[in-house]
Amino acid sequence: MPRLSTIGELEQLRRRIRDRVGQQRPCVTVCAGTACQASGANDVQRVIKRHLIERDLVDQVLLRVTGCHGFCEMGPFVVQEPQDAFYPKITTKDVPAIVDAAVLGETLPDLLYRDPITDVPCQCLDDIRFFAGQQRTLLGRNQRLDPIRLFGYLAEGGYEALARVLERYTPEQIIDEVKRSGLRGRGGAGFPTAEKWDVARRQESGEKYVVCNADEGDPGAYMDRSILEGNPHSVIEGMIIGGLAMGASEGFVFVRHEYPLAIKHLLIALRLAREYGLLGEDILGTGRDFDINIVKSAGAFVCGEETALIRTIEGAVGEPRQRPPFPTESGINGKPTCINNVETWANIPIVIARGGDEFARIGTPTSTGTKVFSVVGKIRNTGLVEVPMGTSIKEIVYDIGGGPLEGSRIKAIQIGGPSGGCIPHWRFDLPIDYDSLKEAGAMMGSGGMIVMDDKTCMVDVAKYFMGFLKDESCGKCFTCRKGTQRLWELLDDITEGRGTLAHLDLLEALGQTVTDSTMCGLGQSAANPVLSTLRYFRGEYERHVIDKRCDAQVCRGLTGAPCQAACPVGTEAWRYAALIARGEYEEAYRAIREPNPFPSVCARVCDHKCEERCRLGASGEDPLALRALKRFITDTVDPRLYQAERYANPVLAGKKVAIVGAGPAGLTTAHHLSLQGVKTTVFEAEDRAGGMLVSGIPGFRLPRDVLNKEIDALIDENVTLSCGTALGRDFTIDSLFASGFDAVFLALGAHRSRRMNIDGEDLTGVYPSIEFLKSWNLRGEVLAKGRVGVIGGGNSAIDAARVAVRQEGVSEVTIFYRRTRHEMPAFAEEIEGALEEGVKLELLTSPVTVHGEDGRMTTVEFIVNELGDVDTSGRRRPVPKAGSEKRVPLDTLVVAIGEQSVDDGADVTEGIHVKNGAVVVDKRTLETGRPGVFAGGDFATGPNTVIDAIAAGRRAAAVIERYLQGESLVAPVEPLLPTAYVEPVASSGAADDRIGRVEIPVQPAEKRRRLFTEVEATVTAEAAVREARRCLRCDLEFTSCPEAEGVLPETSRGHR
Amino acid sequence: MITLNINGITVEVEKGTTLLEAAQFLGFPIPTLCHMEGLSPYGACRLCVVEIGAGARSRLVSSCTYRAEEGLKVRTASSRVVKTRKMILELLVASCPQSKTIQDLAAAHDIRQQRFRQEYEDCILCGRCVRMCEEQMMAKAIGFRGRGESRSIGTPFDIKSDVCRLCGACIYVCPACELRCTYTEPEKAVCGGCANISPPCVEVDEFDDMMCYMNPCVACEVVRR
Repeated sequence: MPRLSTIGELEQLRRRIRDRVGQQRPCVTVCAGTACQASGANDVQRVIKRHLIERDLVDQVLLRVTGCHGFCEMGPFVVQEPQDAFYPKITTKDVPAIVDAAVLGETLPDLLYRDPITDVPCQCLDDIRFFAGQQRTLLGRNQRLDPIRLFGYLAEGGYEALARVLERYTPEQIIDEVKRSGLRGRGGAGFPTAEKWDVARRQESGEKYVVCNADEGDPGAYMDRSILEGNPHSVIEGMIIGGLAMGASEGFVFVRHEYPLAIKHLLIALRLAREYGLLGEDILGTGRDFDINIVKSAGAFVCGEETALIRTIEGAVGEPRQRPPFPTESGINGKPTCINNVETWANIPIVIARGGDEFARIGTPTSTGTKVFSVVGKIRNTGLVEVPMGTSIKEIVYDIGGGPLEGSRIKAIQIGGPSGGCIPHWRFDLPIDYDSLKEAGAMMGSGGMIVMDDKTCMVDVAKYFMGFLKDESCGKCFTCRKGTQRLWELLDDITEGRGTLAHLDLLEALGQTVTDSTMCGLGQSAANPVLSTLRYFRGEYERHVIDKRCDAQVCRGLTGAPCQAACPVGTEAWRYAALIARGEYEEAYRAIREPNPFPSVCARVCDHKCEERCRLGASGEDPLALRALKRFITDTVDPRLYQAERYANPVLAGKKVAIVGAGPAGLTTAHHLSLQGVKTTVFEAEDRAGGMLVSGIPGFRLPRDVLNKEIDALIDENVTLSCGTALGRDFTIDSLFASGFDAVFLALGAHRSRRMNIDGEDLTGVYPSIEFLKSWNLRGEVLAKGRVGVIGGGNSAIDAARVAVRQEGVSEVTIFYRRTRHEMPAFAEEIEGALEEGVKLELLTSPVTVHGEDGRMTTVEFIVNELGDVDTSGRRRPVPKAGSEKRVPLDTLVVAIGEQSVDDGADVTEGIHVKNGAVVVDKRTLETGRPGVFAGGDFATGPNTVIDAIAAGRRAAAVIERYLQGESLVAPVEPLLPTAYVEPVASSGAADDRIGRVEIPVQPAEKRRRLFTEVEATVTAEAAVREARRCLRCDLEFTSCPEAEGVLPETSRGHR
Repeated sequence: MITLNINGITVEVEKGTTLLEAAQFLGFPIPTLCHMEGLSPYGACRLCVVEIGAGARSRLVSSCTYRAEEGLKVRTASSRVVKTRKMILELLVASCPQSKTIQDLAAAHDIRQQRFRQEYEDCILCGRCVRMCEEQMMAKAIGFRGRGESRSIGTPFDIKSDVCRLCGACIYVCPACELRCTYTEPEKAVCGGCANISPPCVEVDEFDDMMCYMNPCVACEVVRR
């Protein structure tokens, strides 16, 4: 191809190419960006090529191999044009079908991308949420051109801007156009591009340079790479225009050596541009010269800093230097140098081609245009996302990014690379522009966005970034080198359980010093990961240093065995599993009973947080059935074998404590105080002890004889039970103190159902769930009849429905819930159980009015919801659909939309305050505002699980002991790590060792539907042992066999 | 000439003067470690930070590298400067406690505690020796290598440099080790110095324990293997 020697020739060439493209053929586009290549795009591309040749379809179907489209999660994928059908995650086997479909102009519904929420196939790119939410000015072109050819770019209008600039723009006019566009540097700091160019233009120097900074080093960021790989000519064109504007004749692309594909494509593009006379001497015959060279960086992160970058280009060690003088005044070899980011340069042709004013219309007034973000981490759709500036984080994360992975909640994003900051989920409404991000303590950076969920520990995140920075700091400034190292050390202390509150103060002070006293941008923002996580997640840091807990279970030194760490009372679940595997059932009972006075209760109704965290589950298998194992032990072993240890403490003996409420929290406190010799009186308003265990949980889940046996065992000579006496009616807190009690523990539970606040709520037939359940559980009264509706999606709703379905005179039971099943807070197995028993589920439905006749309800009016915006809980808000009202005839309505302990605003007594329906206490000491009065359980937390109430009871007992002895209420805490060594049983090597999770035997649904007997049964001994042997024994990482130490492996017991 | 304001005093200096020079001209004390007259400004130790500008846009810069600007407002001992300096000194004491220079600076700035994990490093990487060797001795025998935590000073490939003339200027200018050669166990170190040890450490084994760059030792000419 001859060199183009005039602008007219360029336009002629463009017309010829466009004419040829005009005769459209079906086209198959394969994304061959680095990410897709890694997932197999090269094989797909080769097979397509071979198939086209073998079937002689070369003239009928066009194959286009392109750069990155951005939807990297779905690679390798193919886009079929002109239909724009998107086939994700394809294999080479799918190729013939796709090619045939392209020839016939059909689409393949089976291979099409399916919407993850509706599961409907998306016919074209615009139907896919990921693409529909974006404005793909830069990335959109990647799909339409082949980066190693020039013609694609020309057909897309490439070098049009250059031609226009050469023809009729003076340097001032170019800069003016850029100025009107409002374009700001995409490298992070957001300096106005035109201003920088203008300074460089005004320098009186023969030589000037322009530089493209492609030293993209942020973990998780790769948008610059994708632009260079997918559309290198746009960067080249931008740089030529910049060179013309500033009067520079030489440019450099400073690109990471780790980006081989980008370098290859760039080299090809530079060669082509030179061959066609678009680059080099005498560009398009206009007499202007501009050439570009590539400088490969060896990968030091600091070389992305502009002064260090200049030194690297000069051939020296990459170390930043003092600014001013700024590079635009004195850069490479002391000559004026203008450095811009890849994305900035790629935007320049767009600014010129569309006009500055048009460009400025996109985005916000202060941040114009679009920005590419690389969205990675704990999110469904990882990939590159291009949105107008000012788009909210919520839109990117939930709409385009597809929201959290299954079963987790997004907690925060880290934006701007290692020196950026974290933005917590409650600030996701924040529009993404330079100024808002800065105000929020983060920065745009190059646009890396790492999404983190509740399984990410923020301290660990800060430590990771600090580890990166301490290695990547150039080391020139003492405070950056030593400061990052010391910050890392402090974070390491915290994650290993050696942290104190003083560590947090020191982190803050040192972080401030590092920010203040370093020379370059890397140092000045190096403390951001620490400072921003401290700012938004101080609570999480405090959990690490005060409670020695890492709730995300990431910090190994604070977690120990995940099952143990997950249990609110710290049950060593691994230990009883290991003991069951060895057949030592009595020892296993001890491990279960020691921390928990209600083992049989928890074996039936615990929400088993231990199983949620089991590493078997995390590694793709089903988690260990720990609750079933516990049930097996509590049903097998005689509880009388366990004798709790009693202590003779002279200070505590003779002290008296009043406990109000005989639920799990109150009884646990009474039991543990009794072991210390403290006399307690437990006051209970109902006529029997048990609290929610008896009044809320139906007998078919928790048989009454099991419960009563367990409660009776806790009432000993130190515990007096006083049933039928209620706070406020029979006694007050003042009267308790007056009658000689030394302390009071309030554990009244949460017994007040929340109201719906709709018309007709007070008609006969409408019952709050607590009243409904209590009537049946305590008094055997049947309130339900005919068609029963239950409002709500929590455990009370399910319990109420399952009770109603068993009652005489009930014809059908339906649960109405305002969101989807996925969002129901009730335990999944309970929902499953209810459905099996014939309970119906109406989702996305909210009640509007209850209608009635003669004071009795007859029908309920509902409205259908759609899922709308994401709320602060990370769930999509139900939005009523106008005109979707419907009337459902019902005879009974049970309202189970949550409980509270006290009515809002009502103070129980002086010094005890109520907030959001629960009593306000100090979380660690359970103190109320009044000395000597403590509160815990549901009364202080709102409705919660049994095991959490037991944990509160244990905590209360410990705190009250310290209070009675006049000690400080806060005791130092040690990390909860496995201590006892239980020798593992050798694997038999038989195939049945790899058997799945044990099935818990349940009564058949038809039988249990009308019965109030227990639904679940115990597993057999053989099944229990087999299940226990599935345990991965995470505890062994922390313990060692005392006998085997120092003994050679041959003689150790495991190898006998 | 450039007019600027330091701690409320207006001063005229020649173009190109650093803030450190200007402040010192007025007699304001600014502590430094990496700065040395006759060597090019480097800005590594950050001790010489001063606050420039006013209000929300004020910031700290190293006075040894920052050139005077017309109308610039400089404060050499604002509370922000002092706070930062004290933290830097605490970091220095934590890393390099056996240096007499650092001990004296810390004492003068009332550093009474050290809250970090104690280290016994023998170099603060201020680069005085590197600049001395290059700029005054015209040898360029030593330089920096590595980055971040693993940055260090040495000869290329850690072999004796052909261009080193054993002049000892590097040791002479070192603020951390000028009187540094230490006892064999750093914790027990008392500031000494090769040249001051009496009798000199003539045993190679002992010399190996000394944290000294020179080979052979300039004081006793023991050669390290």
